[in-house]
Parts: sequence; C-alpha cells; structure tokens
Amino acid sequence: MTYPPILQTPGGEGPQIWDPHTLPVNDNVNPYCFSVNLNGAYYLQKGKMIAYYGEMRFSGIGRGVLDRVLEQNFNSPLHASDWVVAEGRGTLLLADRAYDLNSYDLEDGNLTVRSGNLLAFEPTLRLKQSIIPGFLTLIGTGKFVAASNGPVHFVEPPVRVDPQALVGWADCPAPCHHYDHSYLHGVLGGIRHLTGIGGASGEEHQFEFIGAGQVLMQSSETVLAEKSVGVVGEQSAVPHQQPTQAAPGLGNLRDLGRQFGL
Amino acid sequence: MCRFRTSSARPSPHIGARADTFRNVAQFRLQGSKVLAVDLAGDTVKARNGSMVAYTGQMGFKKLTGGGDGLRGMVTRRLTGERMEVMEVRGQGTCYFADKATEINLVRLNGETLFVESDNLLCTEATLRTGTSFTGLNGMAGGNGLFTTKVEGQGWAAVTSNGPAVILRVTQGLPLRVDPGAYIAHTGNLNRALKSGAGWTTLIGEGGGEAMQVEFTGEGLVYVQPSERLTFGGDA
Repeated sequence: MTYPPILQTPGGEGPQIWDPHTLPVNDNVNPYCFSVNLNGAYYLQKGKMIAYYGEMRFSGIGRGVLDRVLEQNFNSPLHASDWVVAEGRGTLLLADRAYDLNSYDLEDGNLTVRSGNLLAFEPTLRLKQSIIPGFLTLIGTGKFVAASNGPVHFVEPPVRVDPQALVGWADCPAPCHHYDHSYLHGVLGGIRHLTGIGGASGEEHQFEFIGAGQVLMQSSETVLAEKSVGVVGEQSAVPHQQPTQAAPGLGNLRDLGRQFGL
Repeated sequence: MCRFRTSSARPSPHIGARADTFRNVAQFRLQGSKVLAVDLAGDTVKARNGSMVAYTGQMGFKKLTGGGDGLRGMVTRRLTGERMEVMEVRGQGTCYFADKATEINLVRLNGETLFVESDNLLCTEATLRTGTSFTGLNGMAGGNGLFTTKVEGQGWAAVTSNGPAVILRVTQGLPLRVDPGAYIAHTGNLNRALKSGAGWTTLIGEGGGEAMQVEFTGEGLVYVQPSERLTFGGDA
C-alpha cells in the first residue's frame, strides 16, 4: 500500500503538494489563491481565509482593543465591520469565489480600487473611502491583494473604459464620465433610448482617464458585489450616492423632456 | 509609484493526458481541466446523476438508488443527509462528465481511503466502494452535517472543486486549519476537529468572520478550493 495516493493533473505529472515550507511567501499559489506569510497583523475582508498553518487569531475590527487599529488604518469607523484583522504567525491562504487574485506593491503611492475587489492589505497601508462612491483608496507603502473576474490588465491613460470592467486606478487623477450619446438624441433617438426599439449598443457611457498612471481592468463585465464602504454624512459639497428619485408629477419619466431634445 | 505583480503560475490547458494506460478497465483522463473523459470497454463507472455532457459509442445510464451503496447505504444516506444522486454508466466508448464548469481533480487510490464532500464527488470507478463516514461530533464540514463520503478501494476517483484545488500536506507538528466552506476532500491518517473562533464579539455582530474552522492533525493531504460554499460556519 502506497501513501499518499498518486495524484493526477491535466499535465499528466502529479499536482503540486504544498506545505508551509514550500508555499510561496506573499505570492500567488495559483491564479486564484494567495499565500500570506503572516508575522504580525494583516487586514482581510471577512470570510476570505480558506486555510492556514500556524497560530493565528481572527478578530472583527471596531470594538474595544482594536479601536486604536481602527484610527490608524481605517479612517471611517462605519465600514470597518466588514474587515477582520488576522494576528499571529504562520501561513495564511486567501481566496475569493475562485476569482483571479493579484498582489500589488505600493511604494509611497496611492491606488483606488472598487470596494468589492479589495481582499486584504498590509497594516503599513491606510485605507480610506474614495470620494467616488463605492471605491476605496489605499495610501502609503505596502502590499495588498485584490480580486478580479478574469485576469487583470494594466492600461495607461489616456483611456476610456467600460464602468463594469474597471477595477481601479493608480497614481492618475480620478476619472470623469464620458458620454457618447449623439445617436440617441432627438425625438427618434429618445424613443430608441426609452423603448429599446432599434437598440442601444450599451456602450454609450465610459469612464475617461487622463494624466500619468495605470488603470486596472478586469477581463469581464461582472462587477464584484460592492462592499459597504460606510455612509458619508450628508453635507453640502460632499458627494454621496443619492437614491434615484423620480421627478414629482411626471411618474417615472425623469428627464424625459431632455431625452426628446426639448 | 505603484508596482504590480501577477501570478506566473497560470495553467495552460492540456488535452487528454492519459491517466492509466495499462489496464483494460475504465480509463480516466482529463479533457482540459473541467471535463472528465472516461474510456469504457463494457465496464461501469459510478457518476453523479446528470453529470454526463457527451458520449461516443453505446452507453447506458441507470439511476442507482441511495447513492449506490445498497439498501443499508440508502438508509444511512437518508439519515445522515450526506445525500448523493448517483447513476451507473455502462457501455463501450468514451463518456464525458462535467459539473458547472468546476475544475476536476483525479485521485488514484491503491487501497487508501479518500474522504470527500458528497457535493464534490463526480465519478468513481466501479472497483471503488463508497460509503458515509461519521466524523464525530467534532467534525463538521461545509454545513453538510457531521458526515462525509468515504471512497475506498483500488481505482480512480474524480473530485470537483470551484477553482483549481490547492493540496496541502499535514504532518506531525504542523496542523492545518481550514475554512469549512473551502474544504473538499482529504486522504491519509488525519484527525478532524472543529475549532471555534467565535467569542462574545460574534454574538454582537462584530466577529472575525471565521467563526468555525476544521483542524486537521496527523499525516495526510487536504484539498481546499479557492472559494467558499455558503456556510453557517463562516459568520455565526
């Protein structure tokens, strides 16, 4: 009787068997799994640990002893409940719904990422809410891990990207909206837009990036479910996500008048 | 400045690496990484009900009652909730199996025992016996209860995973803790124990999100998938 059983992978050769000594140090095990060599603390989104060797403790952030951590690394107390601090020593494996994972090294830099895509980060980085709703900004020096649906691609501005394919951006200014609506104007265009007769290409709206930096794209238009980033207090001059409201008296026609070029 | 690192370990698809060429029984091979091809020459395999995607030649598919473990097995499975819908495939030709585009891992058993979550067992050679294994009050994986499926004997078994499985070795003095939602299978002499990371903070909704873990000690291999099933263990 032989032990362990012979294992087979698509290549024909046996698959890699990992142990704490052979697991990569702060690198990908495969495109979907990331190994963290923990010695101290690491922040991760709730529920992204799949396995670990060694001694570690996972504690929710936002109560008692961790208040200090909160002040240092999270600048909003309101979204911190989605985060966990892993403390101890050992090897920690992270994964997220079999999405592609990548690690990013920031050197005295800044990177803004969609809240649902950020998986884990080193405590040397600070996490802040971006003024763009649904995005988080990481500032400082350190490593973080982010997920994308399909491999991530790096594009340099100037570029216009599809909102659903955007994962984040580094170093360059925040994007602006770009509309390509010209063929949807006028009376016929308005009918087309509202009823779908004649169809719209679905690509009438992009995010436009300018300046120097990098834009991160995923290879699909599946948006990872947004994580709560905390509610920004309603104040004049502070952007926040507004609930879509129907204009009074017009049913749900909203800016119908403008659509028809009136 | 920002530097990026991507994984260099991106697998390239391989076609048809033959797993077993010298025996005149069911031959398991992978067509890509998500389709299992089984060459049959009048013999049988057991497969998850409805997992056939294509076949060549002549094939017959017969539903087996109670997971194919006989009457006793049927009763056990009904009682334990480790339910498995299994069919028997017999014929001449090649039969292809797949399950929701999940990755397929082939395991060759030579008298060892493979413990696997019933949801992840795709196909076994007819020479393998399947049954349920009581893992004790300390063992609970995947929210599926206190039981896992046991596969033993001589032959090939195909195990699915959502994303390529990571195989982790457990040795004396190096225990492994696994999220119950990511656990799919294990082999070897391993003890399982459920560890709770939940404290008073979990009860007030400020828990660590990793309230339950399965600890493996001993000698063996543990298969985890890079994704988590819905568990009640993840966040109590």
